[in-house]
Amino acid sequence: MNHFCKEASRLQSDGFERTLTVSERLRLRLHLLICGACRNYASNIKLLHQLFHTIQSQKESAEHVVLPENSRTRIQDSLKDRSSPES
Amino acid sequence: MTKETSNPDQWLKDHGDYLYRYAMSKLHDEEQAADMVQETLLAAWRGWDKFAGNSSVKTWLVGILKHKIIDHIRKEIRDRKLTEAVESDPTSLLFNADGSWVNAPRSWKENPEDLCGSDQFQKVLYECVGKLPEKQQIVFTMREVIGEDSDTICKEADITSTHLHVLIHRARLALRTCLEFNWFGGSRQS
Repeated sequence: MNHFCKEASRLQSDGFERTLTVSERLRLRLHLLICGACRNYASNIKLLHQLFHTIQSQKESAEHVVLPENSRTRIQDSLKDRSSPES
Repeated sequence: MTKETSNPDQWLKDHGDYLYRYAMSKLHDEEQAADMVQETLLAAWRGWDKFAGNSSVKTWLVGILKHKIIDHIRKEIRDRKLTEAVESDPTSLLFNADGSWVNAPRSWKENPEDLCGSDQFQKVLYECVGKLPEKQQIVFTMREVIGEDSDTICKEADITSTHLHVLIHRARLALRTCLEFNWFGGSRQS
């Protein structure tokens, strides 16, 4: 018997990147009904997708993270260098 | 609209922390993040005449920063000289000839917030990303770690959208396997 798991994994990944066709969605849904391993894969890669988004939004909103003072000074200096005659 | 200033010192004062946090959310390295902020402000200053005023200075700066980060990441991955030979297709290892899983994926009973709260987990996650072959790593990082849209990635990497989807699919397969092995209890009963 030929298993659909390999193709299903591709469709599941594509589902994050593009709209699946009706027939793709149908085949995938029918397969997931009978395949626990692919259901696990589905939730695993969904988690994977969410992880990167969660990390980014957590870090972007981490108000306590500020530009370190020494870096700030260095950047200020580099901006000053630039303001000399050539500009 | 508010009058925007063309003074980079003021940009640094007003937006430096935010730009730094933004860079940190994609790069996870303090030194590199600060470098990106510096390059962004310098580039913005040089290109001030190109600022159209349609958006805020902050949005404009973030746009520049994003490009700097993408260039940086691409260069960094290239410099590691991962060979294209390793650009293998993991599907041949993960699936049997009949299309079934060699090792059936297990259920991971964790939620993203808890996992992301663990520095140890984040370390493992980015190590797994770092093990991907070059092309997969570049497009996956641009797509998921930076959050770039597909059209831009295809243009930057000079690939078709179908090729992009294949690379991302392979990256997901490989990452899932790596995480299951290194975090979610990889010991397998055969």
